[in-house]
This record gives sequence, structure tokens and C-alpha cells, in this order.
Amino acid sequence: MTDFKGLLRCLSERRVEFIIVGGVAATAHGSSQLTVDLDIVYRRTSENIQRLVDSLQPQAPYLRGAPPGLPFQWDSETIRHGLNFTLTTKLGDIDLLGEIVGGGKYEDLAPHSISLNLYGVSHRCLNLEKLIEVKRAAGRPKDLERLAELEALLEERKK
Amino acid sequence: MDRVVEAYKKDIDRTLLRENLKLTPEERIEKLMELQRFAEELRRAGHQQREKK
Repeated sequence: MTDFKGLLRCLSERRVEFIIVGGVAATAHGSSQLTVDLDIVYRRTSENIQRLVDSLQPQAPYLRGAPPGLPFQWDSETIRHGLNFTLTTKLGDIDLLGEIVGGGKYEDLAPHSISLNLYGVSHRCLNLEKLIEVKRAAGRPKDLERLAELEALLEERKK
Repeated sequence: MDRVVEAYKKDIDRTLLRENLKLTPEERIEKLMELQRFAEELRRAGHQQREKK
């Protein structure tokens, strides 16, 4: 099980700049579908990458699905040389995304995010309209049902 | 894609969405974690059942 509260707390305590996207963003907007990981788009500045590394270090991040023993160094160099990381941690699964299809990077998404107060801390979360847009852009068959639900949510909110 | 999405939309349980919209975002995430716990419990029970056979 993923401890979303714990992961969000880790990130916010170190003042990591990120935007909640994916299934948890959908849940925050009212989706009823199950999701098991936290997807975030993080800002790729040197300072923020270091904060991200420091925030998750105590949670022993490791590549999800990788065979045990595969060398993986959790540090800012690794993050700088990569972009998107699917990780498992002591608190559960988290996807760190440098950019997303149809949405771009943190700076592109920030104007399309809203501030959500979760567990006493303000977090950025992709707004429903943009979430629908990026799901459409991704065009993955597995997302079509969720896309229908997100559009229905938008319709319900407008009533 | 639009036709597929529209087809799915017909089967969306809107009563569920309306209930979710009454909650705060934090309450929705808490509900998600409860659902995860329940799904894990179901998986564990299923696994236990298969082990018995």
C-alpha cells in the first residue's frame, strides 16, 4: 500500500517543488478509481533536484520492478542524467516525472495547477481540465475509461 | 477516441462521483488509501485460499 500522506509529507518538509498528476490528482478531483502510486512532475533545477534526493533518501528509493541487487545510486547525478523514474520506497510507489506527454515540464504545467490543502500543507495539483488534456494526449487504451470519468466529473462540477 | 470515451461515459456511476464531490480533496485521498487497504486484504485472502488448495 502506498502512504500518500507520508510521501507528500516527505516532499513538503524539504520544500520540493512538484505538481501532483496522474491517479492521485484524479482522486483529488473526485475520481472513484483505484490508483496505487503517486505521480509527480518535479522541477528540474539543481536546487530542487537536491531537495528531492534529500526528501526521499530516508525512504530507500529503488527502481520499481528492477531485479534485486541491480546497482542504483540515489543521488542528484542520477536524477540529472535521467528524466522519469518509477520508484518503490518504504512508503510505497512513486513516479518522478521530469515531463509528461501533452503537458511538458513543471514550468509548463504550473499555470495549469491549483493549490490544494492536504494534511495541513499546500500542494500543487494539476487542474481537472489539464489532467483531461494530458490523458487525451497520452492516448493510452488503459486511460480511456478514466478519461470518461474525468470528463463526467467536469460535467458534474459545471452543473 | 471520442466515440470510445463517450461509450464509457454512459456507464459511469455518477452517484459515486456526486458523493465524492461532497468530500474535501484530503478526504478523497484518505478514501483512496482505505480502498487500497481493502484491495490488499482481498488479495491476501485470495492468496491464502489458493494456498489451502
